[in-house]
Amino acid sequence: MSAPIEAEELSRSFGSLVAVDSINLSVASGEVFGFLGPNGAGKSTAVRMLTTLLKPSSGTARVAGFDIAKQPSAVRRKIGVALQDAAIDPLMTGNELLRLQCVLHGLPKRSGLKRCGELLERVGLTAAGDRRVGTYSGGMRRRLDLALSLVHQPEVLFLDEPTTGLDPTSRMALWEEVRNLNKDLGTTVFLTTQYLEEADQLAERIAIIDDGKIVREGSPASLKSAVGAPTLRIDVSEPDVLLARKVMTQFGQERPARRNRIAIGLVSGTTGITDVLKALDDAGVEIHHVELDEPSLDDVFADATGRRLEGGQV
Amino acid sequence: MNQNIFPQVMKLSHRSILGMIRQPQSWAPGLFFPLLLAAVYASQFSKAVTIEGFPFQDVSFLDFVLPACVIQGVLFGSTNSASDLAADIENSFMDRLLASPVSRGSILLSRLASAFIYGVTQAVVLIAILVLFGANIAGGASSIISLVFIAALLSVSMGSFGIAVALRTGSQEVVQSTFPLIFVAVFVSSAFFPVQLMDGWYGAIARKNPLTWVIDPTRRMVIHGFSWTDLGQSLGIILAIASIGIAMSIRQLRKRLARAQ
Repeated sequence: MSAPIEAEELSRSFGSLVAVDSINLSVASGEVFGFLGPNGAGKSTAVRMLTTLLKPSSGTARVAGFDIAKQPSAVRRKIGVALQDAAIDPLMTGNELLRLQCVLHGLPKRSGLKRCGELLERVGLTAAGDRRVGTYSGGMRRRLDLALSLVHQPEVLFLDEPTTGLDPTSRMALWEEVRNLNKDLGTTVFLTTQYLEEADQLAERIAIIDDGKIVREGSPASLKSAVGAPTLRIDVSEPDVLLARKVMTQFGQERPARRNRIAIGLVSGTTGITDVLKALDDAGVEIHHVELDEPSLDDVFADATGRRLEGGQV
Repeated sequence: MNQNIFPQVMKLSHRSILGMIRQPQSWAPGLFFPLLLAAVYASQFSKAVTIEGFPFQDVSFLDFVLPACVIQGVLFGSTNSASDLAADIENSFMDRLLASPVSRGSILLSRLASAFIYGVTQAVVLIAILVLFGANIAGGASSIISLVFIAALLSVSMGSFGIAVALRTGSQEVVQSTFPLIFVAVFVSSAFFPVQLMDGWYGAIARKNPLTWVIDPTRRMVIHGFSWTDLGQSLGIILAIASIGIAMSIRQLRKRLARAQ
């Protein structure tokens, strides 16, 4: 069986602007795949192509085994889509929208009704099911959007920036929901996000997109370890600085740090911290503060693009 | 697509109607203004029917304006369906539909169906109120049914132009900006005064206005009684307008889909 999502040299231009530039993707069955990048990087354009809403300028892609350009109807039967800006009719109730979605996907009335009840329960909206969506909070709308995308038990679920604009509690509730449905139903999830933490928390594998191109791809852990050693920072008193530097540089290369602080790239990884602390103690250095930072996905992004995802230059 | 589109059209029309009912600001003016105008005209111009050359004898002015009032009401609301479609495009609900296996035709059909249902409801309510206030419909049930049917099809035909504009521009604002055109078209027609008594450019335009060709035979049915010839003439004009509007809508839907897929 082919991978649920496969793209080859997929591109889309708008006039002279190349929004998505020859991307190659392969997402495995049952995987949560994160598509990480800043605003305007081409994430939504890529999703719109994969969900048959936008024609590629060149290249091909297959979703759930069907060609997005040649067999769009077949693709639409197999995918669930929750787009950015949750396009939900505020005049209708959650229940009405779910029933509409069931009819659009051709579910028989009886099983559709049952399915709507199950889904409302799954996303915790049973009590709000008969309220108009206009009265829902942002988090409730996103959860309803997720439920709507699941009515026909899709093989592949596309979530375009599912938590943008949500408060932290709602964001975590939605993450939990995505994790559960991936675990319970084995649904393959393709998720776009501009949040590092979201990609880190949810995705087994991520691709970082910048300026329409995929600049890194792999598991968050492998990408982070490829950037280099974690940074160990130790604050000491001024008289101990020279001695501490001498001891610490035996464990890795020195990195820039503020006054009275020594920072090194810890070659042996996070587990090596005890050796450093022991050596400092043996040398009689008094330690005031210890920090150990693993490379973040932001470091991976910075390494790949020369820019920080969360603003500023490297 | 080999699936049965009937349930989809039904469900999407249902959504469309629910949306309208839940926004009274979209249908209330279509009831209020025609009734207000009918009340004002019937009281202020009651003597107009005695003017020499007035084409109908022994009628009240209320009977005379009844068909115009119904048609005006329906036309006032005819942009609602298109405006809601434009809102769907603006807020990406259309994308949700297009990303589902829904038949593309049912998106258009459901909007036309809801315009028809809206037209029927609007016409029935307006006729009931006007009859309650003393209007007389000569042809009885046959004329009333014809009037309702004419109004509903006119709602569909004018609505279809709005739908073409909505699909072309995806903007509610642009759809709503077509409203004054409808307003002017009603006033420069035989809706509130017989063309026989109009002079100059106003009369010349009114005589060439297709709405006059719809209103005049409809009015004859209300005042003189049901006639197949009059019904045929009204429906013929409306169907001609509708076929142009629907052809334009289909063309714009195809163009919009081609841009995407």
